[in-house]
Amino acid sequence: MINLDDLHLKLTTDGGDVNILRGINFHAEAGERVSVVGPSGSGKTSMMMIAAGLERATSGTVTVAGSDLGDLDEDGLALFRRRNVGIVFQSFHLVRTMTALENVAIPLEFAGRADAFEAAAQSLTSVGLAHRLTHYPGQLSGGEQQRVAMARAFAGIPKLLFADEPTGNLDSETGEYVIDLLFELSQKSGTTLLLITHDPAIASRCDRIVHLLNGQIDHTETPAESPPQTGSE
Amino acid sequence: MSATTSETRQIEHDAASREPVWLAWRLCRRELRAGSAGFRIFLACLALGVAAIAGVGSVSQAIVAGLSADARALLGGEVDLRLTHREASEEQLTWLQANGRISAVAEIRTMARNNDRTSRMLIELKAVDENYPLYGEMKLSEGGSIKDALAPRDGVWSSVADVGLAERLGLSKGDLVRVGETEFRLADIIEREPDRTSQIIALGPRLMIPLAAMPETGLIKPGSLFHHHYRIAVDGPVEDWVARLNARFDSAGWRIRDFSNAAPGIQRFVDRVTLFLTLVGLTALLVGGVGVGNAVKAYLQSKTETIAALKCLGASRRLIFRTYMLHILVLSFVGIAIGLTVGSLVPLAARPLIAEYLPVAANIRIYPMPLILALTFGILVAILFSLGPLSRAQNVPAASLFRDLVAPHDVWPGPRVALSLGLVAATLGGLAIVSADNRIFALYFVVGAAVAFVAFHFAANLVIRASRAMPRPPHTSLRIAVANLHRPGAPTSSIILSLGLGLTVLVAVVLIEGNISRQVGETLLEDAPGFYFIDLQTDQIAEFDTLISSFPGVHKTGRVPILRGRITKIKGTSVDQITVPPDYAWITRGDRGLTWLREPPTTGSNVVAGEWWPADYSGPPLISFDAEAARAFGIGIGDTLNINVLGREVEAKIANLRLIDWNTLGINFVIVFSPGWLEAAPQTHIATAHLDAASETALEAAVTDRFPNISAIRVREVLSNLNSVLAKIGTAVRSIAALAIAAGTLVLAGAIAASHKRRVYDAVIFKVLGATRRDIVGAFFLEFLLLGLITAVISALMGSVAAWGVVVWVMEADWVFIPGAVVATTVICTVLTVALGLVGTWYALGQKAAPLLRNE
Repeated sequence: MINLDDLHLKLTTDGGDVNILRGINFHAEAGERVSVVGPSGSGKTSMMMIAAGLERATSGTVTVAGSDLGDLDEDGLALFRRRNVGIVFQSFHLVRTMTALENVAIPLEFAGRADAFEAAAQSLTSVGLAHRLTHYPGQLSGGEQQRVAMARAFAGIPKLLFADEPTGNLDSETGEYVIDLLFELSQKSGTTLLLITHDPAIASRCDRIVHLLNGQIDHTETPAESPPQTGSE
Repeated sequence: MSATTSETRQIEHDAASREPVWLAWRLCRRELRAGSAGFRIFLACLALGVAAIAGVGSVSQAIVAGLSADARALLGGEVDLRLTHREASEEQLTWLQANGRISAVAEIRTMARNNDRTSRMLIELKAVDENYPLYGEMKLSEGGSIKDALAPRDGVWSSVADVGLAERLGLSKGDLVRVGETEFRLADIIEREPDRTSQIIALGPRLMIPLAAMPETGLIKPGSLFHHHYRIAVDGPVEDWVARLNARFDSAGWRIRDFSNAAPGIQRFVDRVTLFLTLVGLTALLVGGVGVGNAVKAYLQSKTETIAALKCLGASRRLIFRTYMLHILVLSFVGIAIGLTVGSLVPLAARPLIAEYLPVAANIRIYPMPLILALTFGILVAILFSLGPLSRAQNVPAASLFRDLVAPHDVWPGPRVALSLGLVAATLGGLAIVSADNRIFALYFVVGAAVAFVAFHFAANLVIRASRAMPRPPHTSLRIAVANLHRPGAPTSSIILSLGLGLTVLVAVVLIEGNISRQVGETLLEDAPGFYFIDLQTDQIAEFDTLISSFPGVHKTGRVPILRGRITKIKGTSVDQITVPPDYAWITRGDRGLTWLREPPTTGSNVVAGEWWPADYSGPPLISFDAEAARAFGIGIGDTLNINVLGREVEAKIANLRLIDWNTLGINFVIVFSPGWLEAAPQTHIATAHLDAASETALEAAVTDRFPNISAIRVREVLSNLNSVLAKIGTAVRSIAALAIAAGTLVLAGAIAASHKRRVYDAVIFKVLGATRRDIVGAFFLEFLLLGLITAVISALMGSVAAWGVVVWVMEADWVFIPGAVVATTVICTVLTVALGLVGTWYALGQKAAPLLRNE
């Protein structure tokens, strides 16, 4: 489902070039749940952004859901996301001037779904927010906003779900609830999950844990395994 | 609970009262360190409105000062005595010569022909004596003096003329021009005539001849309409001199004017234009006020964290209010200062325009009064539109401030703020009225502006509610566009209000101008006669009637006697002591034409009250009066008017009232006398002829060749000239109305800029969720298209209603809707809105997603 080959990302800043990713090789099977862990600045989010077609790699090959993302222009990438991808961010990234229902319906509308609002309402119901359809993000708690984001990500039943520290802005209890929901939804829909997290307990709920350090995969482990394997896959 | 709140408020109040003002100033200075970023639209809105008001006021003052400085030259003397139909008596002349330096001038409208009689035209003839001009300087193209230019050469009288006359008659210097029964050699071309005060609308160009040549022209006949002016340079105070004159000649019948009121026509014109332009400037300022309010609101929203933090650290509401009020005021002064600087420079830019259209040199310098007025308007508008957001910022709890965008606290300003808002609005309206020359008109404007604001607020709310209530459109981009109209923080309201107000002014102005132009260009021409012939002598009537009635192409003719008379008393009270409604002041202002008839007029007026006299009536003098003027004067059947006809005062009773249709351009008179009183008085006749356009030149030649004293006025030409003057005025008015649009555009740009950050964010999120660039552009395009169209349609409706009101009620003319003007305005608005909106969208599309999405 995800193939990243010799992935490099170099960003130019005022202070000079910064190598964010340095030769990542990563593979994930359909339906697999992979967590990516590592210290801040290790390249976790960049890796996810590239896999989701939100950022272009400096070099290397990115093949996701059968599409070579390097061949796609900006609109091609948008269509790719529309068909294949759901994303949950730490900061929720809801459209603040849209209601919960509208936020969830919008990707379905872009996909031309005639039942966008019905499906959105159903998706919100599945995350326990049937009573919050007409509320704006500012009127919802952090946990509720993240549930709206998850309803939005899952509404189109994507092949892939990217989650970037989805509990980072939530208290532990709410975070736990959201993560339970995330795993439950991905399990139900058979979605491939790429989860970025700092929390070892959350990471250990995935099928595989990838450790990033200084823009490279330091090692990979399966939660039951010990000791870890080292190096790239 | 209420006791607790009350105690809290008391504690807060006590704490606030201990906060020194300098603390607010210190905090304000820290805020000011950020500069004017985010306040550019605020500054531009204030600067534009203030510059308009200051500029208009400064130009007006410069013209008035110029009028005052040139008053003697414009009047031609320190005192001007004008007699109509007659010259001063020997006794009067002797007294005048003994009591000052005198210059005599005669003026009459007549025909001029080139010597081979192939071209002719109506001219404004002016005969001057050797002392002309007493004041000012006559400029001729060759630079010589008027006295030398008009000196006879080789036994032929000399003349000087406007270049338009020479061109039209094909004359070069030295050629002969024929006036009445005499020829004049064209000696030079007039470049500037110091006492000419009506350059804008004259029936013909000027020809100036020596006064001594006047008798030879044969134009001075009993009853012919000429004016004799006696300009006097007096010794000592003018008031004393006039008092002595009146004591000596108490019933001379002359119009006395002194240099303190040298050019009342120009003064009236300047006053009216100033009032109109000031009010347009004020409209621009009010429209800009919406932008000011938006900028303050956006600024305070960006400061919510700071305000919340300050409150957490113990700042009182009063301190917050004072700090940010000071900030707004300081920035307001910057915007106002820019406006005042630009406004004070406007007279310099307007100088060529003034020189072209007014016979007065503007006195360019800094005039404090208009600047003070503009400054005051600017401050009041800045305060009026800032008070609401300021009051919210100080009143809303910090926690609510954080959620303001989606959960707007419907905080009604407290009673003190509401009272302050009311006071500021009342002061603004009051100042607009008090500072205006025509206060009734200004009052209408203030009421109209208030109604327009409320109406647009209502319309904007209606649009927001309707877009919220309407079923979801099936098309995604359209759904997003419609939803964007009612989203929290959407600029819908302010764009409809500001751009809509500006557009309404433009639509109204264009429609009114179009109606006037159509009225003059089409409606009037349909029924108007082809010619007026004036100054027909009684002994010429029979021959004239024969000539004209048998002339090929003439369909209809009309003729009535005409005399000049001045209303001196209404119901026994002198007109000087009566306040006449401004629209009807012309009736009592100086001499008016009047006639006498046995039978009621068959066209152009109908008797609507009272009875017409019998054809053989010979009793005490009766008059038939204009019904609408009678209503304005508060008089009716049986009331009396005293009318001075040729120096003789007649008291006449109103026998009937006529409703006059002035639009026919036929011969109509406000006053028609019964027979028996005026037949013997010196009088001339005025005739009309309806004819084919192709016959006009031939008829003009036939009549004026046969009767050199008769002047032929080509109605088509006059209306065409009038239309071109109206077109120029229309262009000027539209340009000024564009100021309001400019202010609206500023507000639009500000509103779009304010929502830009949100739009960029939305665009990025849409991209993440699978939207293509086409989807995003489509949604934003449709949003601005809807907004532009809705604003344009509302403005077109309101502007049309306003124009209809003015045309039907004020001008009392037929209303014609001119779709082209409205469509053009609608298109302008829509294109403007979409273009400005898409400029921002284009930038939003170019934004990379990743930087915005990374966790902070």
